[in-house]
This record gives sequence, structure tokens and C-alpha cells, in this order.
Amino acid sequence: MKFGRPTIFGLVLAILAPRIAFAIPAALDPLTVLEKNCVSCHNAKDHKGDVVLDRAPVAVETPKAIVEAISGAEPEMPKDRAPLSAAEVAALAAWVKDGAKIPAGRVLEDRHVPGLDWWSLKPIPTQQGMVPDPTLFNETEKGWVRNEIDAFILAKLKEKGLKPSPEAKPRVLARRLFFDLTGLPPSPERLAAFEKARAADPEGAYRALVEELLESPGYGEHWARHWLDVARYGETHGYDKDKPRPNAWPYRDYVIRSLNDDKPWGRFVREQIAGDTLYPGDPDGIVALGFIAAGPWDFIAHYEVGEGKLDGRIAKHMDRDDMVSAVFNAFMSTTAQCAQCHNHKFDPVTMEDYYRLHAVFGAVDRADRVYDLDPGAQQRRERLSVEIGKLEAALKALDKRVTDAGGAELAELRDRLRLLRDKGAGEVKKSPEHGFHSQIVNRPDAGKWVRIEFPEPVSIREVVVIGAHDDYAGIGGGFGFPVRYRVEVADDAAFSENVRVLADRTRSDQPNPGIVPLTFPAEGVTKARAVRFTATKLAERKNDYMLALAEMRVLDTDGKNRAAGATVTALDSIEQGARWGAKNLVDGRFPTGGDPEATRELAALRAKETTILDRLNTPEIVDERDSLNEKLAGARKELGGLPEGRMVYAAATHFKKFGNVAPTEGKSRTIHLLRRGDILAPGDEMKPGAPPMWEGSAAEFPLPEGASEGEARAALAKYLTDAKNPLAWRSIANRVWLWHFGRGIVDSPNDLGRMGMEPTHPELLDFLAAKLRDDPGQSLKSLHRLIVTSAAWRQSSAENAAASAVDAGNTLCWRANRRRLSAEELRDAVLSVSGKLGREMGGPSFQDFVIEKPEHSPHYEYELHDPDDPKAQRRSIYRMIVRSRTQPFLTTLDCADPSQMVAKRDETTTAPQALALMNNPFMTAMAGHFAARVKDAPSPTAAAFEIATGRAPRPEEAGALAEYGKRHGLANACRVILNLSEFAYVD
Amino acid sequence: MSASQDCPISAVRASGFSSRRGFLAGLAGTFPGLALTDLLGRDGVLSGGHLHHPPRAKRVVQLFMAGAASHVDLFDYKPRLEKEHGKQWDPGEGVELFQSTPGASMKSVWDFRPHGKCGKALSEIVSPLGEVADEIAFVHNVVGKTGVHSQGTLLQTTGFNRPGFPSAGSWVSHALGSENDNLPSFVVLPDHRGLASNGTKNWSSMFLPAEHQGTVIRPGGETPIDDLFPRKNAEYITPAADRAGLELLGRLNAGYAAERAGDSRLNARIRSYELAARMQLSATEALDVSKEPQHIKDLYGLAPEGPGVDDTTINAKAETEFFGRKCLVARRLLERGVRFVQIWSGNDNGFPRRNWDSHEDVKRDHGPLARGMAVGAAALIKDLKQRGMLDDTIILWTTEFGRMPCAQRGVGRDHNPFVFTNWLCGGGVRGGVTHGESDLWGYKPLDREHPTQVYDIHATILHLLGIDHERLTVRHDSLDRRLTDVHGHVIREILA
Repeated sequence: MKFGRPTIFGLVLAILAPRIAFAIPAALDPLTVLEKNCVSCHNAKDHKGDVVLDRAPVAVETPKAIVEAISGAEPEMPKDRAPLSAAEVAALAAWVKDGAKIPAGRVLEDRHVPGLDWWSLKPIPTQQGMVPDPTLFNETEKGWVRNEIDAFILAKLKEKGLKPSPEAKPRVLARRLFFDLTGLPPSPERLAAFEKARAADPEGAYRALVEELLESPGYGEHWARHWLDVARYGETHGYDKDKPRPNAWPYRDYVIRSLNDDKPWGRFVREQIAGDTLYPGDPDGIVALGFIAAGPWDFIAHYEVGEGKLDGRIAKHMDRDDMVSAVFNAFMSTTAQCAQCHNHKFDPVTMEDYYRLHAVFGAVDRADRVYDLDPGAQQRRERLSVEIGKLEAALKALDKRVTDAGGAELAELRDRLRLLRDKGAGEVKKSPEHGFHSQIVNRPDAGKWVRIEFPEPVSIREVVVIGAHDDYAGIGGGFGFPVRYRVEVADDAAFSENVRVLADRTRSDQPNPGIVPLTFPAEGVTKARAVRFTATKLAERKNDYMLALAEMRVLDTDGKNRAAGATVTALDSIEQGARWGAKNLVDGRFPTGGDPEATRELAALRAKETTILDRLNTPEIVDERDSLNEKLAGARKELGGLPEGRMVYAAATHFKKFGNVAPTEGKSRTIHLLRRGDILAPGDEMKPGAPPMWEGSAAEFPLPEGASEGEARAALAKYLTDAKNPLAWRSIANRVWLWHFGRGIVDSPNDLGRMGMEPTHPELLDFLAAKLRDDPGQSLKSLHRLIVTSAAWRQSSAENAAASAVDAGNTLCWRANRRRLSAEELRDAVLSVSGKLGREMGGPSFQDFVIEKPEHSPHYEYELHDPDDPKAQRRSIYRMIVRSRTQPFLTTLDCADPSQMVAKRDETTTAPQALALMNNPFMTAMAGHFAARVKDAPSPTAAAFEIATGRAPRPEEAGALAEYGKRHGLANACRVILNLSEFAYVD
Repeated sequence: MSASQDCPISAVRASGFSSRRGFLAGLAGTFPGLALTDLLGRDGVLSGGHLHHPPRAKRVVQLFMAGAASHVDLFDYKPRLEKEHGKQWDPGEGVELFQSTPGASMKSVWDFRPHGKCGKALSEIVSPLGEVADEIAFVHNVVGKTGVHSQGTLLQTTGFNRPGFPSAGSWVSHALGSENDNLPSFVVLPDHRGLASNGTKNWSSMFLPAEHQGTVIRPGGETPIDDLFPRKNAEYITPAADRAGLELLGRLNAGYAAERAGDSRLNARIRSYELAARMQLSATEALDVSKEPQHIKDLYGLAPEGPGVDDTTINAKAETEFFGRKCLVARRLLERGVRFVQIWSGNDNGFPRRNWDSHEDVKRDHGPLARGMAVGAAALIKDLKQRGMLDDTIILWTTEFGRMPCAQRGVGRDHNPFVFTNWLCGGGVRGGVTHGESDLWGYKPLDREHPTQVYDIHATILHLLGIDHERLTVRHDSLDRRLTDVHGHVIREILA
């Protein structure tokens, strides 16, 4: 493909004002000419045509060949762009004459910037005058044309000598309409009603159905799925450990709500980029930012490694790349990410442009943030969260100072402690019943207690407390054993009479005993009715705190354990399976073993550790710690007094530090251009901006001095919805068309650039884009309405050999495209016809798996899920989408992978699909329910057939099904029906 | 979507390409005469005489040690570490580690001694591989990009350190298809105790057609292949009902297709059910190791108690049973025409460790895992050789990165993405050679300017399969994507 003549090239440059000086300098440097025109192909790596021009020695058959290739009326080179100007040719000719020298050691960089002379970068005209002249059509053709769309389609068909197909039969059309607008099948009753209404007024009945479906909540649920495919929306992080995102779903609900409300498209876009800045006070402005955060996130590289290390900075760079790519692919159908290591080879996106986009997102991270409070409370919450994070970090730093002051002695002691613990961990014998475990809290000073109550008074000799053992967070023995605590007895269960303290260890931090039993003598205690263990400073688990104990034994004066089987009460308790529960505290089961010698050494070392720490904790440090703790308590109290609000996982700048992810508080990271995309090769610092892709758009956003990061995102949001933006409106118009027809007007919906496909109907695309853009309501529903009421959309999908011979791929739309239901449509349809589809909207996602081992890397076990769990019998849009293990059944059916942006679903046909549809537990269970639903019908198999396909079976079909059902049972017949091609396809 | 309804059955798959994974233009241009004659995955884009050059190999086994296996304790002998053992390790430059700060130099937990005619020094713990040392080419200077498990794992399985790219197995399946209609072309045998970092992303087809995604098989598991048969609790599905149901379904679907002549997908769908029924038989037969003779079971180290062997505490017997059984099943699959088998040792990096992420104690975790791996891998090599299949089967041993030459807390080792080991054998690989060395400690490549990267390993494997890695491309989001990105050189030094 060639660009226009030099005159056009000049015009393009004039439009691209900021680049004029760069494009044609006064005196041409031959090396610059090479960089701009030649080295993108003729470099040492690609060496196209065995020609290398990016370094010495230049490799080419004869240097003169270079001049020949670029000269003449139709020069051979450059291949994919405009010919060189006379001045450029002259400069290279002189250079060749001079011996074609490149200084030793210099490697020329590709500085080619493709121009704006590409169809998708041309301005989108207004709608007026775009529609083909009706005089082109004869009377029959005019009769076919229902609206503007049809005029565009028909004009093209005529050019090729093709005719449109007749309208599909009413029931076929109605079923198509149901799936297209709501993703659900129509009931036989609704179809019958439609046919009845048609008898009086065919067009009126059809249009009424269109309105009914557009207004039904199912519309938003179905079309949200399309958008979430593009948004790479998932509810776990992906990568390693693949932790859940429990607060991702509000964004999904936001998309459904926005579509159902027919929110103006421009606003929908702007909210997802900078809603918090542009629409303060509107919860949707924050929830919408879930778009930016929707993609995968490398938890380990951010949380555990962090930006203090190179690997963490690389991860953060990749994280921003995901945001930039997502925004540009989704809203602009432009592959900006191609400019990470060099200028985009085909589209006008330079490396500078790409890193300017990084600068737009330089301050944001992915985190939970509150979305539904009044702005004042919200800001206070955010400020306090940040402050608490800082205070906690300061406390940690203080601890580190103490540890560092302990030097080698403390470090070695702790290494030894860890080793002993690890050693013991392998050999400890413990039962599945670990012990008692309090609820988890986020601070160590929350008091926790657990109490043993005796049915009758007891004379106590001693109380024995044994620490629990759990490998969680590598803790092992002494898991949850408090740092400060006391042991008391009382003469009544309520602990009001004759309370005596057996041991008070609340004044200083205590060594952790591991699983070595601690004995507290109780000389002279008689008539006790209760023993209480109170923790005043909790053990840290992993950035959180709780109390756990394996066992308490209360020995009476005869040495009998009176705690056995006694009542246990506690402030709170986690009752988790067999493992943790209050009654486990007195069940006689506790960890034993370990190497006895190691255990003794462990206890001795821990005591020594405490002594060292007491020495290191100088009064100044203690004061400082107290002061920090006081501030922390104050901040927590203040935070506790504020309304909590609801959280969404979104782009965020103010949140409590988690792991090594610290909030930027709105201060952008410094973004450098990275040569070759290498974080170790930073170039100039970049300011927020976006590629200038139309006349008047500047590369750098004109932000005032000291503008907030939100203003940078707001500038991008405006860029993405600018009426002059040629790509944004074409992008969404094309997507909508694709989602209706199964094929885009441009069938590379994420790429309208030079490497994408070209439009089959460019004027139609522009018409739709302009219609959406210029509509005051920027209404997507108006587009749907126009499309589904067009004659083009209503065509039959039947084959026509003559038309196929001309246009086998139906690119010109001479018939409708028969399509297979998407994975979610199929699942929803199965639930629907089986009578099991719950229609509750919104809220947390259902899980169609069981999570095992949640503490480290959650295992998402789909096989263990019960398909009869009513919580999961909802529309698939409400499914919790896991990245590390995509849902196997839906994946087999070409469901979108949430780790990539999916502009268009695949439609493969494979043997595993057949196996899944026949044998997956979901399918076999639903076949049973389907049978139960129809069992009382006069002809159950015929009823099931009609529910599934939208038509009554023909006699031979009905006979065969009834016969089969009689012999093998109704459930088996329903299993067959759910596997029918007619169920899976929409004509 | 239905790009064409009158084309032969192949058009459906071609239309699949024209969707999100990009249109075929680049591909078709690259391979003139491209014939997609089979809908259901048998043929690849290069099968039927369209390879770029005569192949040396037909199939691949990838052995993946999840968690990062220590090269210096298994394959890469470093006498220097014996000398400096226990002294503070100092490579003379700043070192930034994943979890820790560098501790003392730490020699291999096991002794090394020479094996085979080539005299390759191997650690005692992998000594079973000594018997086949003359078949193996070791590459000791492989480098990664970061020390993050997820990224390192993806880099080795897909050639990219972020999600979104097809697995090497998917590329091979896409290029070569399967030799057996009734089995998938790309099979994955994960560790039954959990999926490694990134989970199924390591065998996703992403923008390649779905039939090239790895099919998970759990040998010895209750349901070795998802949905191969109905669950037992679907009692109403008797064998007779199933058979008659399929027959009825075929008839009804044929009627539907007949009324919609020209839509090849509908006939393909009918065939997919027939194929599924055949797959039920073939897969069951392929996975049934019970009829293998005892000496073969012994060769692979299968335990008498089978997959239920006790591993409450990590032990070599259980690890050998687990890995050996996968290797034996792999051999049976390869014999039956499966193109690419990915075998995993090690689960997610949780506790207690059943993975190679030995921060705490190399001996405790690596010992049993390495022994099990060595027994299984050596058996696979010998068994393929005695069946004449080693000549055209490539075996690749890999892991996400290596481990440091210095100790972490005395007896563990931290991540080392700066250098680690891969080895290859069979299928045109020259045995008994070592290519590319690490430095004195096994910390970085000896020649830092010329390390081996995953692209080179992948380019070499594709080369042996008859594929030019620069010409196997699929257009996706504006780029002609390759397994090797824009990198990769065939490692000629290890070609036979």
C-alpha cells in the first residue's frame, strides 16, 4: 500500500503541526532520512532484502542501488509509505556518493512516523448527505429499504449484482431478536403472543417486541457481557497465587446499569477513564474506574516485591502497559502498545505518545476504594486510610531499626529460631482439629478472650496452655499465641465473683512458647467455676492479628483434667470445619512431638530473644512506638467513626498501603520514555498526553501547572470522546454492528489501523458513527433500534448458491449470519428452558467452584461444585470469573479469556464440546430438571422440544423423541434436546 | 462467525482465524497452498507437505519443574562453591534477590560425579539420568527476565512474560496438528496437587483456535479427562440410553443440517459427536497402563499402591510414582500420535512444599522431587529409545528460573533468574554435549553477552520439527505474532 503523492504528504504534515519541524528540517541529515524512511526494515535484525542500513558497515549489493530504489516516478522504496521528497533523495544520494558512511558504534533508530492518510483517521462527516441517493433504486428495491442502513447495504449489493434475502419467518426473527438483545430464549407463550399480535399489525407487533426487549433488564445483562469481553474483566488477579477480587463486581453492575439506562456513550467512556474527577459526588464516577483495573495484576511482583526493586518496577511498567493498551484498544481500536519499544510501524503513534499515555496513568494503582459516600466523608476516609498505612509502615520501620541494632547476634538467633521451627514443623504430630481460633482483626491491641466454664466448682492445681500449630504464613508452632496475655480464674461463669489473676503477662512482650505447654500454678484456688485466658496484644498472622490456642487443660488437685468436655465460650471464634472451633480447645488434641531437644532450645532462644529486645527497646524507641501507636489508635478510631461505604476494585490513588503497594496520594510517578522498552534505558521524562490523531489534537495535554493526576485522566477522557476524534466513534459503531451481525464492518474490531482490515461499508460505518456522536443522547439503544428494524438485519440466514458464488463470506450482507450461541448464552438458555434460571440482578458473583487452600494459592475446583446449588443458577454475567483456571465448560464453548481483550468470540467446533454438552454435570443435572418441568405436559418430549427450539416438532421428530423418551426416560430425552444443533444455533 | 456457508468444512476454521485472533492473510501468504482440509484439529497449518524444511522430529515432551529447580544442585557442577562453602558469597557486584539478601556460598546439597561416555558430572540425586547422559544436551546459560514465578513460568511456556499468548504446545499443535483423529494434539499432565503459577494460562491457546489448547489429563485420577463420561451420579444415563441418544441426536441434527444446506458447521457438529464417542474409547485405552508389563512399570518407578501412595511427608517413593506415571502415560500418548505433551512436577508455590521453590530447605524439597523426576525422565528416554521413538521425539527439561549459589537462611536458596539450566534430548538433538556455561558460581552466564534465551530454545525445537520460527506467524492485534516474538536463534551447536 502506498501513500499519496508528496503534495498530500505535505498536507498531512500541515495537519500534524507539532511534527512539521521534525519532519522536514532545513538541512537534511542523511542519517535522519535513513532513520525516518529506511531502517524500520533494513536493520541488522530484520535485514529485509539482505539490506542493512542502520549501522556500519552498510550491507547492500551496491550503494548505488539505494539511490535507484528511492528515485523515479514510481520508486521501489520505501514499500509501505510515501516516496522520499526530492530533498531527501538528494541527501541520500550525496551520502552514498560520500561512501555511505555511518559512524562506528552508532545504531540508527527507527524514527518513521506513519501519517494520518488512512481511512479511519479521516474526519467523520455529519450524517447529512451520506445516505445513498434513493433514485439509485427501482420500486421493488425501494420497497425493501426500511431505513438508511438498508440503502447503504443495497447500494453495495447492487454493485455486485446481488439481491438481499427475504425476511426471516416471524418465529425465527423473534427468537433471533430475543438472543440478540437479551441473550435469552423466548418462551413458547411469548412467541405465541407475538404471532397473535402480528395477525393484527405485523410491523407494530415487531416494533413493540423490539421496545419490550430493549427495555427489559436482560438487555443490559446481555450487552454488558460484550463490553466486559473488551474490558478484559476478571474477578481474580491472575498470575501467581491468583487471589480473588471480592470488590470487582460493582463495576460489572455499573456496566449493566449504564446500558439499561442508555447512558450517553460519551459519558460512559469518560466515567471509565476519569469519572472521579469529572463527576465528583456521583458513585458511578468511581465505580466506572473498575475498567482501568479490570485486567490481570501481578500480585507477587507488586505486593511482595514492590517498586523498591527492579522486578517490581518492571511489573509496574507492565501494569501501566495493560492500562494503556486496554484504553486504546477498547475506545480507539488502536494498538498503542505497539509503540513500546519503537514507534508504531504502521499507525501514527510514536514512542513519545505511548509514554505520554503512561504518564496519564502514572499515579494510579489497582485497589479497593469506597464509592458511595459523600465526597467529604470519602476524602476523610481515604486520608485516614493512607495515614494508617503510613503509621503502620513507620512502626515496621521502627521494628526494623531495633532488629538492625540487634546486629548479627539477633539475626543469627532468629535464623536459628526459624530453622528450629522449620525443623519441628516437619515432625510435629497434630490432629486435624487444630484448636481455638478467634476472629481476625487488623490491629494487635484488640482484646480477645476465651473462657472455660465448669458445671461445678473445681479446686485447681494448675492451668496448662498449649500453643497451636499451623503452617499458614510459615508460622508453625505457637501460631496465634499472643504476645501479651493473662490467665485468671473466677467463682462464676460470668467472671464477676472472686476474680484472681494466675499470671499477668501484659506488661511486656512474651516469647512465643511454640507448642511447648505453659503451666500456670493455681495454689489455693478452690470453688472455681471458670478459667479465662485473655490476650491483650495479639500475635501477627500476616498483616493481621488473632488469638489461637491448641488446648487448655485445667488440672484439679487430683491431677484430673477438668477442662475436658467443659463449656468453652469466647469473645468470638472462627468455626471452620474440623480445624478451628471453640470446642477444640478442650478436646484433648494438641500438637506434640517435634524434636524435644529442638523444642527446649527453641524455648531458650525465644527467652533470649526477649531479653535482647528488652535491651534494644530503649526508652526513646519505646516512646516513639507509644506515640505512633497512639496516633494509629486515634486514626483508627476516627476511621471507625466514619460511615464505611461500599468498595469497588478500581483505579485508585488513596488507599491503605498493602504489602509493598503504597498509595501515590495522587502524585504521579516520574515517567520516562524507555528506549527499546527497557526499564534500564530511560530517556526523556514524559508528561501526560495522547497521540495526535486528528487536526487540532496536541501530543501533550495542555494542563495547567500543578494539575492533578485526575485532570490528566480527565483530559484523556475528553480526548477519547472528542467530536473530532475519528477513531472513537467508528470504533464503537463498528463494535455494535459486529455484535448484531456477527461480523464487523471492519472485521478487526480492536484495530482500525493499517494492520487491521478495511471496512466493507465505509460510508455506512461513518453514518452510524456520526449518528451516535451527533445524537444529543448518544444513545446506544437508538443504534440497536435502527439496526434490528432494518431489512438487512431481518433477512433470512438461508443459503443462496448464486450469491455465495459472488460473496461466500457474506461480507456484503446479502443474508443474515446463522450463529451459534455464545458460551454464556448457551448456559443461560439451558438454565432457562430447564426452569432453573434465577433472575435476581446484581450483587456479588456466584461461584461455580469450590475454593480449596485459600490461604496461599486458592485452588478453584470446578469439579467439586454442585450444579444444583441454587446460588449458581443465575445468568452467567454474574459468574465469578477466575483467571488461573477458566471455567472449563464455558472455555470449551469458546468463552472469552479474561486475560486478554476479546473483541470477537471464536466459534470453533470440537469433540470436547460434544463431550461437555453431553456429560458435564451441569448439563446432565439440567436435563433432569428440564424433564421435571415438562413431565406433566400432554406430550412431554414435544413440549421440551418446543421450549428449546421455539417451534413444535414435526411428526417424525415428535415420534422419534416420544419413542426414545418412553424407552429411556424423559431425562435422557431432554439431554438429547439440549444437544440439538437447533438449540445451539440461531437462524 | 459464519464467513461462508458453502465452503468445504475447512472454511469454518478459517473463519475462526478471521476473528479476534486476526485474519489469515499473513499466514496464508506465508504458506501458499494452505489446505485446511479438516475441521477437527487433525491437520495443522503446515501439515501435508508444507513444512519449511525436512523435520528431524515429530513430537515434543516438555518437562516443567514448577517453583524453580536449582541448577547448581542438579546439573550444573560448581567446584568453586565447594571451595567457598560457608563463606560470605561475594560476586563483586550488587545483587538484588527476590526475598533475601545474599548469604554464604552454598555447595550442592549432593555430590557430583561423571556419567556416560561424555563424562557429564551430574548430582547424585539425579543419577538415574546418568544412564542416558550421552543422549542429553545441557544448556547451562539460560537467562530469564525477572525473578517472579508467574512471569518466569509464562516466559518458558509461552515465550512472553505476561498473559495473553499461546503456549508453545499450542503453536506446535497449530502448525503440525495431531497424528490421531481421536486424541487431542496437545496434552497436559499437571501436578495433581495443584496448578503451577498462572494455572491454565500455561497451556492456553489464547489467539490460536481453541482446539490447540492443552487438554488436561490426570492419570490415575477419578475423572482423568473432564466430561469424557457422565458422572456416576447422573444415574439415568445408562449405556443403552447413551448409545440410543447419540443415534437419535445424530438423526435430528442431520435433519436440521439438511434443511440448511451449505452450512458446513452443522455437519461438522454432527461429526464432533461421532469423534467424541471415538475419543471415549481411544483415550480410555491410551490411559490404561494396567496392561503394561511389570518391567516397564518398574522402569518408571510406579509404586505398588499406585497413585494413592502416601505423601503426607514429601518422599521419593511417592514423587517417583507421580512423575513416573505421567511419563509412562506420556509415552503411550506419544505412541498414539499426540504431538505435544507437557508434564508438570510441582504445584502452586504453597506449603508444605510440593514444588521446587526451596527457599527454606533445598534438601527437603528438591531431594524427593528430583529423584522422582530423574527416574521418570530417564525411563521415558530409555523406553522411547528402545521403541525407536527417541529419534523423532524431543524432550525438553525446563523450569521458570534457577536458584542462587548462596544460601537463604542456611539451607535454602532464593530465586536466580540470571542463569539456569535447560536440557534437551532426542529428536535430532546431539547427545552428550554441554552448550553454554554459567559462571564460576552458577550466578550468571559465563559469557554475559551471549546467553541462551527461551526464544533460542523454542526456535531450536521448531527447527527440529521442520519449522522456521520466523515464519510461523499469526496476525493478532496488528502484529504477526510468533512463538519467539522478535527474537530467537537456532542453537546449531546442539543439533545432531
